[in-house]
Amino acid sequence: MATKKRKRKKRRDSLVLNLLIIVVLVLVLFEGRLIVTLFTHRSAVTSSAVSEGADSSEKEEEISENDASLDASAGASAGGSSPVTALAGLPVTAGTPQANPSETDAPAQTEDTVSDPNSPAIVPEAATPVDDSYFSDAVFIGDSRMEGFRNASGITQGQFFTSVGMNLSTMASDPIISTVDGNITVPAAVSGGTYNKIYVMLGTNDLGEYDWEDFRTRFVSAMNRLLELQPNAILYVCSVIYVEEDKVAMQNYGSYVNNENVDTINSILLQICEEQGYYYIDFNEFLSNGYGALIEGASEDGIHIYGKYCEQMLNYLKTHYVTSSSDPEPETESETESETEQTA
Amino acid sequence: MKKKFVYLACAAAAALTLTACGGGNSKDAENDVVEIDVEALASDLLKTVTEDSLSQTSSDMLPSIYFYEEDTVEEAIAYTSSGTTSCEIAVVKSKDAANASKIEELFQTRVDNQAELYASYNAPEAERLENDAIIESAGAYTVLCVCDETDEAKDVLKKYGF
Repeated sequence: MATKKRKRKKRRDSLVLNLLIIVVLVLVLFEGRLIVTLFTHRSAVTSSAVSEGADSSEKEEEISENDASLDASAGASAGGSSPVTALAGLPVTAGTPQANPSETDAPAQTEDTVSDPNSPAIVPEAATPVDDSYFSDAVFIGDSRMEGFRNASGITQGQFFTSVGMNLSTMASDPIISTVDGNITVPAAVSGGTYNKIYVMLGTNDLGEYDWEDFRTRFVSAMNRLLELQPNAILYVCSVIYVEEDKVAMQNYGSYVNNENVDTINSILLQICEEQGYYYIDFNEFLSNGYGALIEGASEDGIHIYGKYCEQMLNYLKTHYVTSSSDPEPETESETESETEQTA
Repeated sequence: MKKKFVYLACAAAAALTLTACGGGNSKDAENDVVEIDVEALASDLLKTVTEDSLSQTSSDMLPSIYFYEEDTVEEAIAYTSSGTTSCEIAVVKSKDAANASKIEELFQTRVDNQAELYASYNAPEAERLENDAIIESAGAYTVLCVCDETDEAKDVLKKYGF
């Protein structure tokens, strides 16, 4: 009888022991997964956040595939006539007056076309770069490409009044600048501070809107309004950055979004700068592939460029600037050396 | 004696493994204060954005994007789009947990403003902002998440104690 009891107790004990072991194993397995997740997550932080540019091409391929399928399905659902969506926020009319007549052909491999590369309005490279403090009294006004620059370049100073889809028309009078009290107009936003530099990046959303003469008039009018509000400011007009036409075509952005129109609008912007005494920032100097198009793989959708290139844009601005009376002269290397010698 | 030792070892192992549970957050038992690894949370949420490549935005720019007062915030991190979509991830740790509701309001203002701007030209993005933007707080932490995988993002937030 006693032996039976002992056996039963032994069996119960081993059952409890087995149960405990199972519980522990489950917990260890679960935590093991967490530890693995923790490690993989740590590596993901560095790879995705820091070197976003490095893996962008991989992702870009995926997205291109997705876009292609989306495009196809959108076309199918719309009965074959897929709606033309906006470029960087602009409502698009059915007619595309500035469409590139040769858009159905293979992309033309032309050389870069700057109407006058020696134009005095183009800001040349300075010997000494400035740091971010140069932008502390600057205001940046522009469309989603300028917003992308703010978001991804790493710039730390400056006031940004940007809006997706901003064009000359909306810039003049629409409440498109986000504030804590809702959206306000660009002039209202600009009048709220004192700025010594104004950077304007507009034109991408105007590629198909106006005839060019109308664009010229409106642009000058808009810039004059800004200078009325900030009479002491240096006005920088940024070139319209080239696009990747293949990607643009897949995004339903409208056939007028092409590099031929970009060249045209940039020629006008440069002429305006020459006539009005504004300064022209030629981002295409380094964002061009050398054949009048955006560097291949520089953008997600053909228009909005990746962080890596936004960083290059910031570096470009740091080496392409005009000093105003309010700016301290940047120290040259030789000055620094002589100071060092004196100190020594 | 040997059996007792095995029981004790098992119990200790179970206790040890249990204390490690809880994802990226922990709670100060005495003060009931939530502690979250802001970078880890933002990074986990970033995985729920699959159709766009977001970049980490300079923290100096965040007060003007989200309208918060710098001196009320201890730590903030945001990943934003280069303009392709309306997706964005922002995690803000307020100095005082009482400020979290204010940050929630500011995030809502940001979402409303963006939705209004997107509405005139890119309806799907406006709809995403209106219907899928997640704004949640836990203790002093407030999150804004506009992403592709909303359910997945909610699971991530749950894991972190939101």
